[in-house]
Amino acid sequence: MTKPIRGGSLQEAELPRPASVAWTAPAVRSESPFAEGLRRLRRSHTAVVGAAIVAVLLVVAIFADVLAPYSPSTNDQTTTFARPSWDHPLGTDQMGRDMLSRVIHGTRISLLIGVSSVLLALFLGVPIGMIAGYYGGRIDGLLMRVMDLILAFPIYLLAIILMVIFTPTAGLIGTMKVTGAIAIVRIPIYARLVRGSVLSIKEKEFVEACRALGVRDPWILLRHVLPNCLAPIIVTTTLGIATSIIVEATLSFLGLGTQPPTPSWGWDLKANVAFIQANLWLSLFPGLAIFVTVLGFNLFGDGLRDALDPRLK
Amino acid sequence: MRVYLLRRLLHIVPTVLMITLVVFVMMRSVPGDPVVALLGDAYTEEDAVKVREVYGLDKPVLVQYVIWLGKLVRGDWGASILSGRPVLQDVLVRLPVTLELILLSMAIALAIAIPAALIGALRQNTWADYTATSVAMIGVSIPEFFIGVLLLLVFSFGLNGFLPSSGWVYLPGTCPMMVCGVSLWGNVQHVLMPAIALGVGRAAILTRLLRSSMLEVIRSEYVTTARAKGLSERPVVLKHALKNALIPTVTVMGLQVGFLIGGAIVVETLFAMPGLGTFGIDAIIARDYQQVQGFALITAFAFVVINLLVDLTYTFLDPRIRYA
Repeated sequence: MTKPIRGGSLQEAELPRPASVAWTAPAVRSESPFAEGLRRLRRSHTAVVGAAIVAVLLVVAIFADVLAPYSPSTNDQTTTFARPSWDHPLGTDQMGRDMLSRVIHGTRISLLIGVSSVLLALFLGVPIGMIAGYYGGRIDGLLMRVMDLILAFPIYLLAIILMVIFTPTAGLIGTMKVTGAIAIVRIPIYARLVRGSVLSIKEKEFVEACRALGVRDPWILLRHVLPNCLAPIIVTTTLGIATSIIVEATLSFLGLGTQPPTPSWGWDLKANVAFIQANLWLSLFPGLAIFVTVLGFNLFGDGLRDALDPRLK
Repeated sequence: MRVYLLRRLLHIVPTVLMITLVVFVMMRSVPGDPVVALLGDAYTEEDAVKVREVYGLDKPVLVQYVIWLGKLVRGDWGASILSGRPVLQDVLVRLPVTLELILLSMAIALAIAIPAALIGALRQNTWADYTATSVAMIGVSIPEFFIGVLLLLVFSFGLNGFLPSSGWVYLPGTCPMMVCGVSLWGNVQHVLMPAIALGVGRAAILTRLLRSSMLEVIRSEYVTTARAKGLSERPVVLKHALKNALIPTVTVMGLQVGFLIGGAIVVETLFAMPGLGTFGIDAIIARDYQQVQGFALITAFAFVVINLLVDLTYTFLDPRIRYA
C-alpha cells in the first residue's frame, strides 16, 4: 500500500499542461487513512462494545451529580450497613453512605485520573521522543538516559514513593497528585514509542524534501512527522488509560490515592474488605466498577489497534 | 558469550546503585521523617536534633548515602530506626514468602497461558478460540485485588472457611526464624489464593500475546516444511512453533516484573502475608529509611537479574541469537 505523500509544495499545476488528452481518468478520491480506519473500526464488534461502555461511563461521570441519588460523602449513622434495597440499591457502608452514589461519583475520579494522567504523559513524552529521535546525537543520549532511569524502576515502586512524597490528600488537589505520579511513571513509554517511529520516518524522502525546501524543524515535526506516527500513539494511549485506571485503583487500594471523603473505587474496596464477610456487596460493586471501566478501554483499544494498524498485533 | 555475561553482570552494579540512590534521595525529600514517629508524643525539637545526630540524619543526603553504601559493602544493611531490628534479618525472613508467591503465580500463569494460547491459535475462529480470547480479555481487565476479594468471598467466607483469609505458614525446612508455623498443607492453603490472584492477570496477558505470536509462527514457511516432511502435528507445534513463539512472550514476562512487584505488594496487603511487599509498603509509609533502602536494594537487584535471565533465555529459545 502506498501512502499519499503530503507536504510537498512543488505543484503539478506549475508544469505545462498537455493541450488535450484522449481520455480523462475517472476522478477516484482515495479514502483518507483516517476514514479508512474509522470504517474498519465500526466493523469491529469489540471496538463498538468498548466504545459503548466508555460512552456510558463518560455520561455517568459528567452527570454524576444528577444521577447519584445521595451525596457520596454524607454520613448517616442511622443507616449503616444497609442491605441493598429500593432506597439504597447497592446498600450503604459503615458510615451510612450510599454505595450507588459512591460508585457513580467514583467514575468521575477514575476516568479523570485515567485520562488526564495519560494525556499529561503524552504531552511530555511525545515531544521528548520526537526531539530525541529527530535530532539524535547528544540530545538523544541525554533524554533517553533520563527515560531509561525511570524505566529502570519497577513501576509501582516509583509510583508509591512519588505518592508518599506528594502526600495524598482529598479533593481536586489529591486527584492531581495521583495524576502527576502516574504520568511521570508513564512518560518513557510514549517517549520511546515516538522516538522509534521518528527514527524511521525522518529518513523518508518527504522529510528530506521538506528540509530541502527550507521548512523549519518544528513545522516538519508537527505537520509531517507527527501525523505519520499517530496510529501507534492512539492505540497505546487508549490501552494506557486502562492501565492508568488500574494503577490508580491499586494506589487507592494501598491508601495512597485520593483520600476520603472523595469517593474512589480502590479505597472503597479496601475499606470494605474488613466487612465483606457479612456485607458482601460492599466490596463487590466498586470492584465491578473498576473491572467494567478497564474492560471498556481495553476492548476499545484492541479494536482501535486492529483498525488502525494491523501490524501492531 | 562469557564476555557478554561478565559485562552484563558488571552492568548490574551501576543500575542497582542508581535505583537505590534515587530512592535514597526521594525518600529524604518526603515531608516528615522517622524521628517524628519514633519520639511520638514526647517529641521536642531538641530531642529530635539529638536523635537525628545519633542516626546520622543531620548529614548531607549524599554523605548519608555513601555511609550506607560503605556499610553495605561490609554486609551491614543497617538497622530499622523504628524497631531497631537489622534490616537484612527482616528481609531474609520475608523473602521466602514473596519468592514462593511470585514463583507459584508465574507457574500458574504459564500453566493457564500455554494451553489456552495453543487452543486459541490452532483452532482460530472456533468457539474454543473465542472462549479463550474472551476469558483472557476479562483477565487483563481485573485488578489483582479484586480477584483476591472474589476468591476470599468464595473460599474463605463461603465454603466454611476452606482456605484461610490471612497469615502465613512456612514450608517445612524453610522457617527462617526460631519459631514459626510449619506445615506443607498449611502452606498450600495459605499460598493458593494469593498466587491465583496474582497469576490470573499474568496468565491473561501471556495468553493474548502467545496466541498472536503463535498465529504468526504457524503460518511461516519452516512450519509448512516441517509438516511437509511428514512430522506429526505434536512435534511441529511443540518443538518448532511454540519455541519460537515464546520469544516475545519471554520479553513481556521480563517487562511484567515491575507490575509483579506491585501486584505482590497489593496481594500481600490483602491477604495480610508477612512478605517483602507488606514490608516495603509499611516501611515507605512509616518513612523507615533503612528498611526502605533494604527493600529498594532487593527489588532493584531482583528486577535487574530477572531481566538478565530473560535475555539469556533467548539464546536457549533461538540458538541463532548469540551474544558476542
